[in-house]
Amino acid sequence: MEGTLAIGKAWILLRGNGAWEQSGRTLEEAFVHEAGRLKAYIKDSPAPEVFSAHLEILEDPLLLDTIKKNVEEGMAPSEAIKAAADEISGMFSDTDDEYFKARIDDLKDICRGLVEYLEGISDNPFENLPEGTVVVAPKLFPSDMAKMDLGKVKALVTSKGSSTSHVGIIARSKGIPFVTGIDISGIQTGDLLLVDSNISEIVVNPTDSQTEEFKDRLAAGNKIPEKMKQTILRNGVKIFGNASSVKDIEEAIRSGAEGIGLFRTEFLFLGNNRLPSEEEQYLIYRDAVEACQGYPLTIRTMDIGGDKPAPCLDLPKEDNPFLGMRGIRLSLSKPDIFKDQIRAILRASAHGKVRMMIPMVTRLEELKQTKALVEECEASLRASGICFDNELEIGVMIETPAASLISDLLASEACFFSIGTNDLVQYVMAADRGNSSVSYLCVPLDEAVVRAVRMVVESAKKAGIPVGVCGEAGSDPEVAKVLCELGVDCLSLGSPALIKELRPL
Amino acid sequence: MIAKKLTIGAQDGLHARPAGDLVKLVKSFPGTQVTMSTEARTVNASSILSILSLALKKGTEVEIKADGPDEDKALAEVIRFLESL
Repeated sequence: MEGTLAIGKAWILLRGNGAWEQSGRTLEEAFVHEAGRLKAYIKDSPAPEVFSAHLEILEDPLLLDTIKKNVEEGMAPSEAIKAAADEISGMFSDTDDEYFKARIDDLKDICRGLVEYLEGISDNPFENLPEGTVVVAPKLFPSDMAKMDLGKVKALVTSKGSSTSHVGIIARSKGIPFVTGIDISGIQTGDLLLVDSNISEIVVNPTDSQTEEFKDRLAAGNKIPEKMKQTILRNGVKIFGNASSVKDIEEAIRSGAEGIGLFRTEFLFLGNNRLPSEEEQYLIYRDAVEACQGYPLTIRTMDIGGDKPAPCLDLPKEDNPFLGMRGIRLSLSKPDIFKDQIRAILRASAHGKVRMMIPMVTRLEELKQTKALVEECEASLRASGICFDNELEIGVMIETPAASLISDLLASEACFFSIGTNDLVQYVMAADRGNSSVSYLCVPLDEAVVRAVRMVVESAKKAGIPVGVCGEAGSDPEVAKVLCELGVDCLSLGSPALIKELRPL
Repeated sequence: MIAKKLTIGAQDGLHARPAGDLVKLVKSFPGTQVTMSTEARTVNASSILSILSLALKKGTEVEIKADGPDEDKALAEVIRFLESL
């Protein structure tokens, strides 16, 4: 797998050892500033949930109450924050659960941010990070990850921390090897480091033969994309990117993606007790289209079910949410909410190439009803003199056995297909991939799945519409090879690093 | 004030992410005070740190109490959320 080996120059993080002075800033200002900073990170981070959890902690009444109590007892604000961090950490110290321990780090990171602001330290220590750097530090915090230019970071090495921490999550999502538990005392800035996160080891200033051997291993790891690249070139398959934020889109396009094959919109609804307005959605979709720089943007309408926390939709509890009210079924059952989304998508289509994709389709009727709603929205926009793309393409996500079985019918009404392999595999095989006792059945290359995909591709070819794949399986070289040979026109991939590897130019 | 007991069924207990969702849910009932109690302690369910400090693992019994104008809906929603984990 990519993202486990790296070679680079060590760069030791030196944190500003701020003098314990007051900058004239108040505690309240520090909270407001920190909240603003976290909100900006949430917007831009590859793992926004990490900073959402931080914001939650910052807004926790316990934190502010504890700090205020300390101030009342006569402490300076920054001391009061540090003491509060210690006090609250103490509540967790009797647990030996790694996960909860990691949350103490989140708390400390937030408190450090508050103190830095109060002390007037605003420098970004990562400002002049050289290319090809291995960042070495006693400990790293999620806010550090947001400050670093991760494109320049080859690997992360720390003495403390755990791979399950939030830093670990962000590193993994970026394909950056992260090794902890290393004695870093002997490392100096500029030392050459070989990093292997498979075995949590590093080599400092290796011999030439060690470096050569390591480079061979790196190259062997890279051979797989090379093979995959050949298949893709041979079959003329396009490489698109999957995205859950505008930042993801920018990154995919920068990595060479020829479009966005899946832009998820669930983040607008999940964990939100208020529905996103048409205007809010429009502004985000418009930013998303603009980030595509002329390449097509495929917006998937909300793909939510009873298993997701969406208080704004007030979904009833279901015994079997994966066979319940989700995806297009839910959208069609709430036409007013759906129309807000459609209108926002239509308005965004005035700014570039937009395609609308509907999830969890099982009947032709669902596509027809959606198209009727789109026409209704178009008429009302036209009446108000609002611009949109008159030929907005509406496509279908193929992720149920039903959709593959009627793909010939769907192809007569849809402008494109996109196969969602994750769900298709689970539904075709009737096996939950999260259930370890049956996960052996969740194989994208199982004959039943291959037949379903073949059927879909053939229907698409007959109707002359493009068919892509936007599931994780497309990132697996073996699966990608089969998909390309079956005649898929486009692979939409989640990893910008892989997109970069595969792009022919 | 109304209360109900339940046993945490989620395999991994109550993690930071679902705990964050729980806090959001509780905060969507302003004016209604929701608490969670284990044998050891009672905490404010609008405080994620307090919830996490309970270190709720699978099999732990918790009592949820709601007090305020929306107490019925709040209690039902919180129970539903915890049971769906």
